[in-house]
This record gives sequence, C-alpha cells and structure tokens, in this order.
Amino acid sequence: MSAPALRATGLAKRFGPLAALAPLDLALALGETLAVLGPNGAGKSTLLRLLAGLARPTAGEIALGANAESRAQRRARVGLLAHATFLTAQLTARENLVFAARLYGVANPDARAADLIAAHELAPFAERRAGELSRGMAQRVAIARALVHEPSLLLLDEPFTGLDARAAERLAEQLAARRGSERACVLVTHELARAAQLATRALVLVRGRARSLDPAVLASEAALGAAYREAVAALEAAS
Amino acid sequence: MSAFWAVLWKDLAIEWRSRDRFAAMTVFALLVVLVLYFAAPPSLDAAQNAHVPGLLWVAYVFAGVLGMNRAFAAELENDALSALALAPADRGFLFLGKAAASFLILITVQALAAVFFALAFSLDLWPVAPQLAAVAALGALGISCAGTLLAAIAVRTRYREVMLPLLLLPLLVPVLLGAVRATTALLATGSLPWPAVQLLIVADAVYAIVSFLCFEYVLDE
Amino acid sequence: MSDANQLAVHGWKRSTAVALAVLGTGWAWAVWHAPLDSVQGVIQKVLYIHPPLAFAAYAGFIGTALGGALFLARGHERFDRFAAASAEVGVVFSTLMLLTGPIWAKGTWGKWWTWDPRLTVTLLLYLTYVAYLLLRGFTEGSERAARFAAVYGILGSALIPLNYYAIELFGSRALHPDNLQRGSLGEGMGLPFLLGVLATLAAFAFLLVRRFELGELRAVHAELRARAALQEEP
Repeated sequence: MSAPALRATGLAKRFGPLAALAPLDLALALGETLAVLGPNGAGKSTLLRLLAGLARPTAGEIALGANAESRAQRRARVGLLAHATFLTAQLTARENLVFAARLYGVANPDARAADLIAAHELAPFAERRAGELSRGMAQRVAIARALVHEPSLLLLDEPFTGLDARAAERLAEQLAARRGSERACVLVTHELARAAQLATRALVLVRGRARSLDPAVLASEAALGAAYREAVAALEAAS
Repeated sequence: MSAFWAVLWKDLAIEWRSRDRFAAMTVFALLVVLVLYFAAPPSLDAAQNAHVPGLLWVAYVFAGVLGMNRAFAAELENDALSALALAPADRGFLFLGKAAASFLILITVQALAAVFFALAFSLDLWPVAPQLAAVAALGALGISCAGTLLAAIAVRTRYREVMLPLLLLPLLVPVLLGAVRATTALLATGSLPWPAVQLLIVADAVYAIVSFLCFEYVLDE
Repeated sequence: MSDANQLAVHGWKRSTAVALAVLGTGWAWAVWHAPLDSVQGVIQKVLYIHPPLAFAAYAGFIGTALGGALFLARGHERFDRFAAASAEVGVVFSTLMLLTGPIWAKGTWGKWWTWDPRLTVTLLLYLTYVAYLLLRGFTEGSERAARFAAVYGILGSALIPLNYYAIELFGSRALHPDNLQRGSLGEGMGLPFLLGVLATLAAFAFLLVRRFELGELRAVHAELRARAALQEEP
C-alpha cells in the first residue's frame, strides 16, 4: 500500500456527558475512498469536522502525509463538501471560486477559477449569483470550490442529499472519475448503494464507536447492507 | 495575508451590491440624531451645551452596533461561516479583513451623520473636520474590532441581535470615554487633547490584539 | 464509601466551615468593637464589608478569565467548569458589593449613586459578568458555550485595567477614599478591616470550591444518566 495519505491515531472528541467519538484509529492511502456509515447522531459529522480541521480533538492526532503539521496547515490540504454549499449568495459562481482560491492562497486565483469552470462545466451559470442557482447547480459549484486548492484529502458529508437523480448521478461519476492516485476520500453517507459504488473501504460508526468492515463486502449493495446491519447491532450491544 | 484582502474585498463587494447595511446604518444614525435633538435640545446659552458632542457619539455607537449586527449576516447563508473556518490562513487575518470592512462602512456613515448632526445642532464642524475625522476613525476602529469578534460569537447564539449589544456595550466604555472627551475638547478649543487620544489608541490596541488572537477559537465548530 | 473515607472527604469541608465561622465571628466582634467614626457614624462600618466584597468580586472575575484562558489553551473541561463556578460565585459577591456600596454612599456622601471611578468600573464589571453568564446560557452546544465564554472572559478582563485607566483620567472626581494605603485607616480600624478581607476571601474561596464541586458532580451525573438512557434503548 502506498504511503498513507491520512492517518489518525486515538482520535477522540468529547465534551460533557458522552463521547461524540471514542478513540479511533484510521489510515487511508491515496486513491482510496472510505465510506463512513452509521445511524444519525453516530458521530460521523464529528469525525469529518475533526478531519477537516474545523474542530479540535479532545485526544489523538491527525496527520496528512509524513510531516507533523498544525491544524491550519492541514486545512490547506483538505477539501470539504457538505450539504451546505459554503457559497456566498451575493457573489457570482465565478467570484465564489476566486474568493475560495484567494482564501487558500492559490497562486493565480482568476486562472484557477477559469480552469475549474471549464473542468466542471459551470460556464452556463458562472456569472449568476450563487443565491439564484438551483440546488444541483450550486452543488456543482460547491464541488469545484472544494477542489480549488487541489486537496489531497476530500471529505464528503452526505453530498447527495437534496440532489435529483441526474445531479446525483453526475456527482457520483465525478467522484468515481477523480479517484486517481492523487487524492484520498472520506465519504459519509447513508446511501448504501452509493457507498458500494464509490468506496474501497468502509467503516461503521454507532454512538461514537467505530468498526471497520471487510472491503470485500463493498462488492454489492446487498453484501454491504448485511455487513452494515451486523456491525450496527454489534456496536449497539457493546455500548 | 491574501486571505485578509480576499475577505475585505468580499465584504465590500457584497456591501456595494446591495448597500443595505450602509443604508440602514445611515438612516438609523440620522434618526438617532433626530431623537436626540428633541430629547436633549441644545440651549441658546453655549455654556450649557457641553454635553452635545457626547450626543454625536450616541448616534455613532448605536449605528455601529447596528452595523456589527449585520457583519456576519452573509456568512449565515449556506454556512459560509464554515467556509471561513476551513481556510488555512491564520484566522486572525480573517478577523482583520472583516473588521476592516466594517470599519470602512462605519466611517462613511459617521461622516454623513456628522453633517446632519452639525445641521441639527447648529455646529460649525468644518474647521475641525480633519481632527474630528481622526477621533471618529479611532472610535470606529474600536467598535469594529470588538464588534467583529463579538458578532462572530453572537451570531451563533439564541437571540443574536440582542446578544451583541449586551456583550459589546459594556466593553466599549473606554472608547466612549476617550472619544467623547476628545470631541468635546476639540469643539471647545479647536485642538485634540492628547490624553484622550492616547486612551483611544490604547483601547483600540487592546481590542485589536485580543480579538486577533481569540478569533481562532471563535471560528471553531 | 466507608465511614473513614466519608469523614476524610467531608472532613475538610467541616473543618473549613468551622474555620470560617470562627473567622467570621472574630471579624464581627472586631467590627462591633471598632471605634465609631466621628463623622460618618455607624454607616462607616460598611467599610469592613464593602471593600472586601469588592476584592472577592475581582477575584471572581480573574478566576473566570484565567479558567477560560486555560480552557482555550489546554481544552480540559475542568478549566471551563472552574471558570463557570468562578463567574457565578463572583457575581454573587458583585451583587452584594453593589448593594452595600450605595448604602455607604448614602451614609457618607449623601447620594445613593455617583459616577466616581471605582463605582463605575465595578458596575461595568458587574454588567460584563452578567453578559458572560447570559452568553453561557444562550449559546447552543456546551463546548461552543465554553469557548465563547472563555473568549469573552478574556476580553472583559483585559478591559478592567483599561477601564480604571480611562475612568481615572476622565471620570468625575474620585469620591472613594484611596484606602489602599497603609495608615489611611484610622486607629483601631486595621484589625477589623484585615479580618474582613480575610473572612470574605475565605468565604469566596470556600463557595468557589463548593460550586466547582457541584459542577463536577453534575458532569458525572449527566454522564451516568446518559449511559443509563442508552442501556434502556431497545
């Protein structure tokens, strides 16, 4: 296996009564996509927020690549795509991309925005304000935005929510196509079909506790479903 | 550093397109001046009017608080606040960008309000305009720095519009004291008293430094 | 828990309470026997209550700010619980201070309130405290509340010296006696004053520790309840 793009050791998050995330170890290589599955409130979003550098873990460490980095340095190599688009409604799609590029310190923001507009076929609505875009269009801009700084780790938090079938299919295609060796992905989803389609590894989270699934079950949605239910039952019994 | 310019540009661009924050602040400042004129009318005897410069600052502070309440309004849609939080830049620079934008909007409002105030209270502000602008700017700096930090906090609480004045006003007293003292002396004697200006500078420095350092913790989830 | 353990755990509380009672009694005795001020009369004896309360109020705020700063630096919830406890106990002493102040003011200066530097700054301190507690109450998410409160506490405490500087420069003339200098207290007033300060600070510390323990117990209780709720789920 190539050098891990992401390694988390003893990662935990708690405040108050119960742990949102019990100590968790994770290692992911470039080119791999990890599906994180689990019922609501299991801690999946917490895990993504920690990986994205949006929150400080209570314990444990996260490392992208070989060198130890600060949280801010890590954020430079992580892209996040969530249900919210993170777009500024009053700016056009293009301006949003330029803004994001500048936030990430990209060398030539205007050129990068133009490249992204071309690559993601955003030209028809690039000059429209983000607030006027449909959900599907906005999500496409959001994807481009997440990739503006060419992150080595892409985090996806239920990105298919609210997308119609065509838009969802398009997103899935994009994710599958981009699965090259330059990037690792963590996909949080409750849609087992998508997980089976896109992921190379799988993890189940229940009440902050995690259990890895055998990658073989990702071969089919049915196999994944069975393994998932078994893991959930086991984790619920344990806690 | 590019993050600072990016945030500053974005906020000003948004403001330029709708100008709603600026308009609301200006109209509100004018209304406050109006209310103050009727509530505390200037007396014909000039010696009784020592309190009048303070009234200008009432208008400035209230308009400032109104403006700061809107400072993170754009970030609430689409969770754009998280977009800022995701940026790898030192969050202190994000803070500076937003504070600078609020500062520029506020000093514009202050200029307009000063004109109306001079008309309402029959003051000739023109001879001392540069010094008045300097004091107004120093005050605006304090309001913008403390206001930006506290607005970022207030925007994620319940009753956010009420929360911000509650948090901000007690902390603005040093600025208010210095600014009113400076303005009063300026209008009475034509020159700025150094102690008051010094207080303003020190207060602004404290706000700016503490807010710059603490913004890191405010942007976390 | 065995009896011996219980005694050890609660024993210190008992002995502290006894010590405080002794201290308080000694102080009350000293106040009773302190010379009557020729000008101010009995009201002057508020001197033995009001400044000590003020010290406690400031101690509370410093504790809040310190707890908050440590929480931000280290992330241990315990620091946040300490900050919260310090704020609550501090606000109690602040309220008492603001209630006793006007009593003294009316007795000595003839007015219930005046904007002299110390009163003004302590009023601002009180308002900042209250805003701090409201912020804790109105923020959703306990970790976020802890972080926001810590930041506000730090900003607020940075302003205490600034406010003093500001108001000393520009507030109306000081009516508070500058009684931090040794020897400005009259004959026979030194001992009751000192006892008053010690008693009040000790009471503050005692209440702070109890309140902090309460916070710790609540946390444990919440955790146990949450675990129990989980067990009950089908």
